Amino acid sequence: MNLPSVLETLQDIWSLQRHRKLPVYLFLAIAFNLILAPLVLAATGNSFSRTQAWAVGLLLITTCALGIYLFFVMFIPEKF
Amino acid sequence: MSNSSPSRPLHVPQGPRESRRHTPKTNFKGIYRRALGQSFVKLDPRITVRNPVMFVVWVGTIVTFLVTVNPNLFGDIQADPTEQRVLNGSITVILFFTLLFANFAEAVAEGRGKAQADSLRATRSDTIAHKVLADGTIEEVNSTQLRRGDQVQVLAGSMIPADGEVIQGIGSVDESAITGESAPVLKQPGTDIASSVTGGTKLLSDELLIRVTSDPGQGFIDRMIALVEGAKRTKTPNEIALTVLLAVLTQVFLIVVATVPAIAQFIANFISTLFSQAAANNLQAGASVAVMISLLVALIPTTIGGLLSAIGIAGMDRVAQFNVIATSGRAVEACGDVNTMILDKTGTITFGNRLADEFIPVTDVSSQTLAQVCWLASVFDDTPEGRSIRALAEKLGGAVDLDLATAEGIEFSARTRMSGTNLANGQEIRKGSVEAIKGFVRSRGGQVPDQIDPAYERVSRLGGTPLAVCRDKDIYGIIYLKDIVKPGLRERFDQLRRMGIRTIMLTGDNRITASVIAQEAGVDDFIAEATPEDKISVIRSEQSQGKLVAMTGDGTNDAPALAQANVGVAMNSGTQAAKEAANMVDLDSDPTKLIDLVAIGKQLLITRGALTTFSIANDVAKYFAIIPTIFAAAGIGALNIMGLKSAESAIIAALIYNALVIPALIPLALRGVQFRPVSANQLLQRNILIYGVGGVVAPFIAIKAIDLILPFS
Repeated sequence: MNLPSVLETLQDIWSLQRHRKLPVYLFLAIAFNLILAPLVLAATGNSFSRTQAWAVGLLLITTCALGIYLFFVMFIPEKF
Repeated sequence: MSNSSPSRPLHVPQGPRESRRHTPKTNFKGIYRRALGQSFVKLDPRITVRNPVMFVVWVGTIVTFLVTVNPNLFGDIQADPTEQRVLNGSITVILFFTLLFANFAEAVAEGRGKAQADSLRATRSDTIAHKVLADGTIEEVNSTQLRRGDQVQVLAGSMIPADGEVIQGIGSVDESAITGESAPVLKQPGTDIASSVTGGTKLLSDELLIRVTSDPGQGFIDRMIALVEGAKRTKTPNEIALTVLLAVLTQVFLIVVATVPAIAQFIANFISTLFSQAAANNLQAGASVAVMISLLVALIPTTIGGLLSAIGIAGMDRVAQFNVIATSGRAVEACGDVNTMILDKTGTITFGNRLADEFIPVTDVSSQTLAQVCWLASVFDDTPEGRSIRALAEKLGGAVDLDLATAEGIEFSARTRMSGTNLANGQEIRKGSVEAIKGFVRSRGGQVPDQIDPAYERVSRLGGTPLAVCRDKDIYGIIYLKDIVKPGLRERFDQLRRMGIRTIMLTGDNRITASVIAQEAGVDDFIAEATPEDKISVIRSEQSQGKLVAMTGDGTNDAPALAQANVGVAMNSGTQAAKEAANMVDLDSDPTKLIDLVAIGKQLLITRGALTTFSIANDVAKYFAIIPTIFAAAGIGALNIMGLKSAESAIIAALIYNALVIPALIPLALRGVQFRPVSANQLLQRNILIYGVGGVVAPFIAIKAIDLILPFS
């Protein structure tokens, strides 16, 4: 794959993300979990497996995201 | 403004409102089947995200589904995996049904709105219109191609293709398609109340030239269709405030529930050192992710969250069923908050079709001479009052052989407050308000006879309208126009007073007549000899005191006041300007409907308040069902005041109740809480007792009953 076609693909992805925000948010959450999951694993010692730590990390992100979403509802309720 | 004119006929459908045929009929067939399908469609997260409470439930359902598939997903559980999977699966199914029930409530309300919209749309069938081009030729076009400002010719027997105003011709129109009133209505140009026509109605006779006043899809009925369908439904201020409250409560409970596992862990560590590891494990098992989600869903106000949009849509639907077109949900809600109601005397408080009862001479003239002057003054007046004056004059031998082509009719205006006839021999004959006629006579160098005031007072004290009649500089007498107060209004005004609503009657009549009618009808205040400008000044003065004002109007001169009022109801028979300025249009053109609209608005607000109270009050029982089960190992079993069988049974029972209460309350949300005309304090006490105390007690009983039925041991 040459450089122009890679750039073209990236441009397509960029234009798509403007219309489809949910996959972008999911991608960002999973990417952020790459930082969070090792922290969970470190904090819980040997009691959690890597999968469980990854799941707990994602649950924490989901809970925080819900909290942020609810703050949005409080401040711009007319959009909901 | 109808009452400032002594001669304004109002087209009001006859007979009791309940017995009137409201066409077209709404077809609700198949509504529940379609709603069921829509309940699944609405599970789409892009739709659910618009309802914060139900979106939290949606996310919770996904998480509980994941822990059903793998109970150890968020850490090794202490309980038996199979038992935990059954519990998690049960929770998932119940949460899923909670979502479905909430979606179903909204879908049923929307379905009713759509059915209502379809019946309104039935009046909007496309027709072939005869468009008049600039060069005067006629082109046949589809009604959907017509634009604002186009002129169309409508022939007898054809449908009127769009909303418009008659600019030429006279014809009778069948408006039963929109009003349900079978009697045809006469339409003619240049009058406030008879020049406006609505698309979808049928011209029965003659021919009309109409100027189209709205683009396709922008007419009143189109706006109502969009509103009842929910396509353009925007949240009303009350709904926005409630959405914020629900979001705050959900946020608080989310934070509380998210921190419970940490507290449980701390207590578990404490218990393991004091008692045994088994007791600590029990506690940790009780604080599993699925149980935490159950606690969160039980605590957040899912009942009102699920029914909120259904209540709003049903409120709009009730207004539409009442044959009133509301241009926004905000207007319907504002009806419920109205503090002051401004009502015209003529047509609203009295029947409006005032009839001449007596001619009272005020100078030394014969009754026949007076009758002749009265007849001449009314010869061009084709209103019911004018016709009744002519009829009485003819009965008294006052008919005059007059060539109408040689005379000139002087139309009534709110400013001159008189009308009359200019004869070919130069004589000016006028009839109108006593003060206006006195002024007219003085301006011609005449004298005002002494007997006029006693006659004027006599008529006024009878509650009638006195009209003076003069020829040039001589006043001949007083015409007694008899007016009758509508029966049952006093009771309705008493009800409004109890609800804290002040009623003000506006009339063009003199003070004595106004006070007699005001006393008889039981209004709180009145403004006599009112001009159109008085209406807007009264509204501004009330609004400056922080009050919300409602009024009705039909004339072009009412338009500024209708726009200024918080709730402006225009009559469908009124002018285009009045209808554009108002935020509601009454298709029946019945001014007394304003009182009913206030009741509908209040019912909408009360229903929302009552169900919110009920939803929040429910939390107490659900809290006492779930919390003791989580912390049972910590020795708070005494909090299990319902004596529920087990932790699983308690959680499932609370969630089943939480889910079932939504469909159980759908009929109430759609029908609305029964409205009683009592004061705000009494209403608050009553609702706190029924929906507050009831909301606390009912779930205790229901959860216990469900717990007894469930097969958990």
